[in-house]
This record gives sequence, structure tokens and C-alpha cells, in this order.
Amino acid sequence: MPTVRIALAGNPNAGKSTIFNALTGARQHTGNWPGKTVAKQTGRLPLNGYDLELVDLPGTYSLSAFSAEEIITRDYILDECPDVVVAIVDASNLERNLYLVLQLLEMGAPVILALNMIDVAESRAISIDADRLSAALGGVPVVRLIGSRQVGLDDLKQAIARYIHQSERVRPRWVLPLPESVAAEKSRLQSLIEREPVLAARYDAGWLALKLLEQDDDLLDRVASFPIITAAMAEAVERISAATGEEPDTLIADLRYQVIGQIAAQAVTRGCAEPTTRSDRVDSVLTHPVWGVPVFLFLMWIVFQITANASAPLVDWIDGVINGPVVNWTQIAFNAAGLGESWLASMVIDGAIAGVGGVLVFIPVLMALFLVISVLEDSGYMARAAFVMDRFMQRLGLHGKSFLPLLVGFGCTVPAVYATRTLEHSEDRKITAFLTTFMSCGARLPIYVLFGTAFFGASSGTLVFAMYLSGIGVAVLTSLLLTRVIYRNKPVPPFVMELPPYRLPNRHTVWLQIWTQTRDFLRRAATLILAASLVIWLLLALPVGRGGRFGEVPPHDSLFGSVSAALAPALAPAGFGSWQATGALITGFTAKEVVITTMNQLYVGSGAESAPDSDLGSDLRAIAIGLGKALVLTVQEIANVVPRTINLLPGVALPELALVPAGAADEAGAPQLQSALRAAFTPLAAVAFNVFVLLYVPCVAAVSAMRHEYGTRWMLTQAAYTLAVAWLAAVLVYQGGRLLGF
Amino acid sequence: MTTTLRAVLEAFQVAEAPLSLGQLAATLDVSPPLLEGMIEYWVRKGRLREAGTAGSACAACHQGRACPLIVKMPRRYELAAPGERAPEPPPPCGCCHS
Repeated sequence: MPTVRIALAGNPNAGKSTIFNALTGARQHTGNWPGKTVAKQTGRLPLNGYDLELVDLPGTYSLSAFSAEEIITRDYILDECPDVVVAIVDASNLERNLYLVLQLLEMGAPVILALNMIDVAESRAISIDADRLSAALGGVPVVRLIGSRQVGLDDLKQAIARYIHQSERVRPRWVLPLPESVAAEKSRLQSLIEREPVLAARYDAGWLALKLLEQDDDLLDRVASFPIITAAMAEAVERISAATGEEPDTLIADLRYQVIGQIAAQAVTRGCAEPTTRSDRVDSVLTHPVWGVPVFLFLMWIVFQITANASAPLVDWIDGVINGPVVNWTQIAFNAAGLGESWLASMVIDGAIAGVGGVLVFIPVLMALFLVISVLEDSGYMARAAFVMDRFMQRLGLHGKSFLPLLVGFGCTVPAVYATRTLEHSEDRKITAFLTTFMSCGARLPIYVLFGTAFFGASSGTLVFAMYLSGIGVAVLTSLLLTRVIYRNKPVPPFVMELPPYRLPNRHTVWLQIWTQTRDFLRRAATLILAASLVIWLLLALPVGRGGRFGEVPPHDSLFGSVSAALAPALAPAGFGSWQATGALITGFTAKEVVITTMNQLYVGSGAESAPDSDLGSDLRAIAIGLGKALVLTVQEIANVVPRTINLLPGVALPELALVPAGAADEAGAPQLQSALRAAFTPLAAVAFNVFVLLYVPCVAAVSAMRHEYGTRWMLTQAAYTLAVAWLAAVLVYQGGRLLGF
Repeated sequence: MTTTLRAVLEAFQVAEAPLSLGQLAATLDVSPPLLEGMIEYWVRKGRLREAGTAGSACAACHQGRACPLIVKMPRRYELAAPGERAPEPPPPCGCCHS
């Protein structure tokens, strides 16, 4: 059975390997290309009495000497002379893929064009006329395929079979149309190459002449021992450059793109329902130079409305379960063991459960945030947000790429500081890292929600949004200070960004993100926050000054209370000069969630909501009923985001949905910590406290990252600056608010 | 004569603000896939480069996709300075406070 060699060539991700696998099945062999680390796949296919040897060439965009893959592909076609080269192109991205096809045709390769992913192209309303495409390419056979579903493979096999039988003389030959100035030089060079038997035997003289005019490095090396040719080539390049004002390689590449544009105009039809077009129309609003930023801010406002308000009923429910039945059951267990009044019971209930539980109640908040952000991300909007804000960043004198680390900073400051490495200039890196701390990290969100729901009820989302916005505002002012006063203002390079088409978010992707992020939060609660809770409990149990016994000392007389009380007067002008608030802020240096942990230990401690003698059955019933109510209330809150948003317009008062009677929603009472905070803070002091939390020194991990990246001096500068700005802003909010009568 | 390829490069040089691929394609009157190919040409020539993305910035972080608010940043191209080196990727960050 005669052997016929078939090479499969194409761009990366054009579906080449899928088709190779479908054609060869299990008849495959994997190895490496000689002298290279690039994998070589070969396989066999019996067809019409022939033994087809298929070679899966590496994916390339071009046939220059830019990469090992390109040289391998080119050399294989030049040296091995395959009987057929199947050029597999992504039909949904035809123009980009055709560049390689034209280069294959220029080489004189026996090409069959396989239009793969036709289904994807059709879903984007891209229609390709195979006959016209074939005609535009000089009669090259064109086959339509859906490789992933094995549709069209028989047509491809038949096309290969026909091609094998075809006489070489009647096979199509396509030539790149050249302008006179280039064609004449190519012709001269071609004549010289034809006179060199070594070169003429191996290469198509016309193709080699063109590649030499393109200054192909690999081929220049190969003709280096032919001085007549290299000299003629250098002169030709100079003449073309002088005549056209353009480098010959750019001129020739541009000709290929012109041809591709003409071919696409003849063979490709784009329907008006093409999603890209719809995306463009939506983008004209969402990425508008003026409206883009307000739209982004409005969407973020909606995000925080959903995050804070919709999650509130479940937050209350978890808080009720932890501070009610969980504490009761633990106390009952210790009582049964005769340790009800021991320091061990206090450590578990007042330390571990109060501390970790105080943070765990905010899981619904974080899950809601992860959900909304994942949906925005998967829909394609976040790419637009990056684009819009990038433009905004440039106006502030920051590099557009600074948006990336700052965006990451909304999640966590630590990777945000490291992400500044993607910036090229040291000054940009230092300034951006300095600003990351003002992008309110996810760990601060529960604090805003806690205070927001305690003091502002249904408007808590607005407080959260205001905090995020304030952080951005302080970052803007700081960047102006740093870029225009301290550092010389440098021009920032513009860029071009690919915006993917909008699409419906994938449920699996969204859920995966929610789950992985929530799992990470739970892991932290079980490790770092638990450890911090126990350390704080220990410091609260250690007596100083007035004496007392370990574990029985009043919190104010403990080591923790004494240190906090000594520092508290400094915060009095901001309206929260209590030792408890000061202590919570000190422990927040460990991790921001620990602020809540500390507050729960200081303000609530072992205060259980129900009697320790309650029975398991009634507790479980109450938990189940409470969950049902919380879920109904969650639906109600999500639905009410719409009327509450529209009601922001002056004179509009849409009614809100009420699935649960107003009184029933409050039956369980407010969570204990929130009640305690209302007694300890005024609303104005609560806002000032949140402003301080937003702006003051980031956690120890973020400070360490800053020191690691930019040294002790820059780290200390940032710590001092953030502390000063936080104090100043909190005092301004509190004192300014009082002057205004709040 | 100014080729379309040269016009692509010049668009980067004269732009005063970021552009989307679609905007630039419309300005140059070429299709976005064709423009992508032209940009790829200049990337190969070393005149443009693909800028870092969220993925690469956080690639070294063991938290990976667990980091909240991480977004898949789209591909982005900008002018490249002759002979410059790519920025150093970030090291593993150790922890994620969210």
C-alpha cells in the first residue's frame, strides 16, 4: 500500500489536534522533533488503498523564523515535501488565520483548506462562502468542518483522496500580487537564486527571493555563503525602502493583509445579529469616555446594595444560631463535665466561639459579594470596567496598568502589592503599591456591614458603597500628591485592549468561584482568626494593676484593657475613644476581620440568647424556622433593590415588596453585637470608626509585603501616612458632622 | 506611502487614551480579527508587546482564583521599548486576607 504524507498545519487553538485525533484514532505515535523540545505527533489512516501518514505540525501564526515552532513547520514543508498540507483554520476568526494559509501557498505547498469551527462562526452570524473563498485562493479545495463533533471529516478525507490523484500540473498555484517596485527586485533576486544549484534544488526560488526581501533571519543564515545573493539582496532592500519609504518586510506583510481583507470581503458575510456588533453597541455606553465611569459606579452601588441588604437576614440567622444554641450546647457540655465555671469553658465560649463566630456570621455577605462579582466578571463586564477605569487612571497621571493591582486590592492588599511588579517603572510601582491599601480589601467589608445594619438598616448598602468610594477618593488625592508633587509627572503609554463579547454567565464557573473563595474564608476562620481569638482572650484574662485572678479579671483591668485604655484618648476626637474600640483597632492589625472578633469578645462575650436549659429538639425547630424566614426575607431584600434604586430619583416612591410582615422580621431581635454597638457608638461615631478602619494601616501581611517589595523606609512611610490620614479623616467626619448638627 | 500595518503602529504612538480593539479596527476600517493579526505582526517585530494580565499577576499566588474580585483581564497591547525585558513575575504571596 503506497504511503502518502499529510501534514496538518494551523494557528494555535484552531482545532488542529482535535481533527488529527479524530482522523487517526489510536493509531498515533508521540515523540519530539529532531533537536527540539517541541512535541511531534504522527498517526496513520488507511484511505482508498493508500496508507496516509499524518503529521500534526506545531501551531503557528506565521512561517517566519520567529519561534522554534515556525521553523519546524517551515522546514518540514520544505524538506519533507508532504503530499498534502491540510491548513486548518478557525472559521470564526478567518482573517487572522488566513495569514498562515497565504504563506503556505506562497511556498507552493499543496494546500487543502479546512474551515473548522463552522458552528462557532455561524453562532456569531459569520457566513463563509466556500466556493468564493476557494476561487479567491486560486482554486484551493475548501472543506467545512466541525472538528469537535466530527462533522465534515468524510468530506475532508474525500478531498485528500481527490488531491492525491490530481496531477501536479493542474494543482492550483497562488502568488502574492506585488507592486512593481517589489516584483522587479524579487524577479532579479530569483534569477540569481536559480543560478545557484544548491539553493535551486532545495527551495522554490521565487519564495526564497521573497523571504530574503523580508529579511528572514533563518534564511539569511542559510544563504550567507552566497555573497552574490546577499549583496544583491541588501541592494534590493535599500532600493525598495527608498522607493516606498517602508521596510520591505512590513510592506510585504501589509500586502498579505490587504489580500486577506479583499478575500474576506468576497467570501465572508457578517450578519447584523453578530454578538460582537451587539457588544459594540452596548460598549458605546458602558465604555463611553464620559458615561463609562458613572455607569461603573452605579453598578458597584447595586453590587453593595445586594451584598449588604440581601445577605442581612441570613447574617442575623447565623448570629442567632451561634450565640444561641451553639453557645448553649457548649455551656451544657461543660456543665455536664463539671467545668461550667472554668477558664477552659470561658476560653472556648468567650474566646473561640465568640471570636470565630463573630466572623463566621458574615459568610452570607461574602458569598453574596462573590456571586455578584463572579456574574459581572463572567458576563464580560469586568473587562469593560478595567478599560473604563484605566482611562480614568491615566487622567490621574498613573499608568493605565495600575488599575490591575488596585482592582486586586479590593480583594486583598497582599497580592495587590505584589501585582505592582507588572508595572515597568519603579516610580509607578511604588506609587501604586502605596495606594493599594486605600482600596478597601474584602476583610473590611464585614465591619462596614456590621455597622451599616446596626445603625442604618436598609441603607447599610449605601454606607458600604460610601466606604469603597471614600477609599478610591483618598487614593486619588494621594496619587495626585505623589505624582505631581513628589514624583515627576511622566507621560503614560496608551494601549489597545481586547474586549470579549458579552455572554450569559456560566453557572458552573460562578458557583466554582463562590465555593473556592468561601472555602478559603472558612480556612482562615479555622486558623488565623481562631488563633487571634485565643490570644485576645488570653490578654483579656491576664490581670494587671489592680490584681485579680486569671480568667476572672474584668476586661478593663486586663492586660489588653489597660493597653487599649492608655491609647484610647488619642481617638476621642474621632468620637470613639473607648478602650474597647481602640483595642479592636489594635487587633485589626493582625487581620481586619479580627476587629469584629475582638468586638464580639468585648461587647458580647458569653451572652447567650436563650436559656441553657433549652432542649435540643426545640432548638433545632427554631433553627429551621429561622432559616425559612431568613430565606424569604432574602428574596424580599433582593426584590427591593429595584424599587429602592428607582426611589433615589426625586419625587419617585415605588412601593417595596413585603413577603414577611414588618414585625415578624424583627421577632428574633437584632444580633447582640449590633445592639451592643448601638449602645456604645453614636451613628456619627460609627461612620467615623468605619472611615478609620477603611484608611488605617493595613494588616501585618500587607505591611510585610510592602517591606519585602519596597523596603523598610517606604513601608514605614506608608504606615505613618495611612495612620495620619485615617485619624485626620475620622476626626474630620466626626467633628464636621457635629458642626452640621448630626 | 503609509501601509495599514504602519497605521496600526502609528495609532499606538499617537493615542492619548486607551483604545479597545473594536474602536481601533473601526478607525482603521479593518475587521477586528485582521487587526489582531496586524498587532501580532508588530509583537513579533518587537515594536508592540502584550501587557501583563490579572492572570499573570496572580499566577504565582497559591490562592489563585480564590482571591475575591480577581478578574480575568482581557489581552492588552502597548508600545514596547527597544530591547526591554519583561517585568519580573510576582512571587507567591503567602496569604489572602479576604
